[in-house]
Amino acid sequence: MNVQNPKIGPGEKGAARCPGAPSTQEILSHDKVQAPPSITAEHYKFLGDEDIAYDRYITPEFAKLEYERMWNRTWQWACREEHIPNVGDYIVYDIGAQSFIITRTAANQVKAFYNACLHRGTKLRGSGSEGNATDFKCPFHGWQYNLDGSLKYLPCQWDFPHVDTAKTRLPEAKVELWQGFVWINMDEKAPPLAEYIGPEVSAHFAKWKLEERYVAMHVIKHMPCNWKFAAEAFLESYHVIETHPLVALSTGDANSQYDVWGDHVSRFLAPMGVLSPHLYGKHTEQDVLDTFTLGDRTVLGDDKLTVPEGGTARGVMADVLRDVMTKALKSDLSSYSDSEMLDCYSYNIFPNCFLFPGISLPMVYRFRPNPKDPTQCIYELLFLRPIPAGEARPAPAEPFTLTLGQSYSEVPGIDPGFGGVFDQDTDNLGLQQEGAAASKKRGLTLGNYQEIRIRQFERTIDKYVGKP
Amino acid sequence: MPGTYTRVLQTSEVPVGTKKAVDVGGKAILICNSENKLHAVSNICSHANETLECGRMGRTWIACPTHGARFELATGRAMNPPAVRPIKTYPVRVVDDWIEVEV
Ligand code: FES
Ligand code: FES
Ligand SMILES: [Fe+2]
Repeated sequence: MNVQNPKIGPGEKGAARCPGAPSTQEILSHDKVQAPPSITAEHYKFLGDEDIAYDRYITPEFAKLEYERMWNRTWQWACREEHIPNVGDYIVYDIGAQSFIITRTAANQVKAFYNACLHRGTKLRGSGSEGNATDFKCPFHGWQYNLDGSLKYLPCQWDFPHVDTAKTRLPEAKVELWQGFVWINMDEKAPPLAEYIGPEVSAHFAKWKLEERYVAMHVIKHMPCNWKFAAEAFLESYHVIETHPLVALSTGDANSQYDVWGDHVSRFLAPMGVLSPHLYGKHTEQDVLDTFTLGDRTVLGDDKLTVPEGGTARGVMADVLRDVMTKALKSDLSSYSDSEMLDCYSYNIFPNCFLFPGISLPMVYRFRPNPKDPTQCIYELLFLRPIPAGEARPAPAEPFTLTLGQSYSEVPGIDPGFGGVFDQDTDNLGLQQEGAAASKKRGLTLGNYQEIRIRQFERTIDKYVGKP
Repeated sequence: MPGTYTRVLQTSEVPVGTKKAVDVGGKAILICNSENKLHAVSNICSHANETLECGRMGRTWIACPTHGARFELATGRAMNPPAVRPIKTYPVRVVDDWIEVEV
């Protein structure tokens, strides 16, 4: 069985792979419907093995540096386009103390205005709000702005001879539309989003067409940890065996594949419908099939599935999933390989966007710091389902908010097994945040392969924070 | 007169996703049909008394077009600034294709 990546010499740092287990690509090579090149690509690079100091997860000083040097220079998705379908529709996006009114100003044009009145600063629209406007009128003294940001009306203009009304307009952040998301960047000199993501991964998404999906579920969860701890818990499969033992029954965790591209993009491929290498010899293929839970199982219904003589759980799952989901989602999935149907793909677009474009688990995550406390954050989980064929786009799901202590099982309509998995992640994170402060050893230690995405992530944090 | 319902509109006058302002005994009321559920709420925003009737309606809320306060249709609760006070909601029912409101 494969142990070494052919591009890295044996014995070199980062070259070792889970011994005695097939690689993700070896598992995929036995699939009936073969995966496309975007999935068979491998892109690992060793990026160092030093400890990373805990301060960055704890101190207000580091959080301030992130606001001043990182958040205001990076691309973030502010909303889905479907949140603002009509001209004049708007939604407010906040990052730290910054706030933006994201509004559709023409059929194919979206603008992001700094959400502050040019008179005495009042937010023009409340945080967390959305609606439709023909103009934005400040609730304090009534300065009024057109949809394009220009000044429409200044009450008692005679008192403001020093204000050049023709030139007065709401400042804007950069905006791009990609994959059905509205992306913003406060840095006027920021590279275009396609360049920021890079050509290779941009090409991966050409097929996914997330703009053709809709928000079927949206959860906002307040988390007891720094936003980076939360994000990093979703950058590796290393924790699966200890944190989610039931999930390990049907997940190639220790043999998941990890890729990094440049500074801003990484991904893992976790093969599903296969036993964890940690559990080899302890379970049958039927056990694997029975516990295929990481995916949202609600679409499968209650049918009991059986592995035929000489068959594999993965083979059964691929066939059944394509079949059942084609019916459940009323959409044509025939162009998708077994891997795309089954496996868990997680792409991180730095800093806080996680896209899971696979079919069985079509999620999006977003992480944002809590501006009042660097040891807390706001995590969002969205399900992006294909729009049923021949049907109008459903309105996006309203967000459902969970406070610090609340369980995912309280979300209406959530698969209980799935909610439990997320609770397991949350439980760890509170302990990790507290432990980081309690630790005598002042930094965290990372695995060279399975935690390469965390290494890349923190290295990129350093690059931004280190740049005045 | 508690328990007295007043006919205000025919159901066909408020298709799904739309709303209509009505006057019931001098009260400005907005009939909203959001996702096939009818709500009757005050048409007057609790923030600065502007009318809500031209506001955007979401699955569960209506946004004031003037300064953007949002109110939950089912309860009238203010969901975001600048409003803090709720708007009034009224019991609503359908009898023989007529929408009736209890004021
Ligand atoms: S602060 Fe906006 S009009 Fe005065
Ligand atoms: S009048 Fe409705 S928000 Fe001000
Ligand atoms: Fe997890």
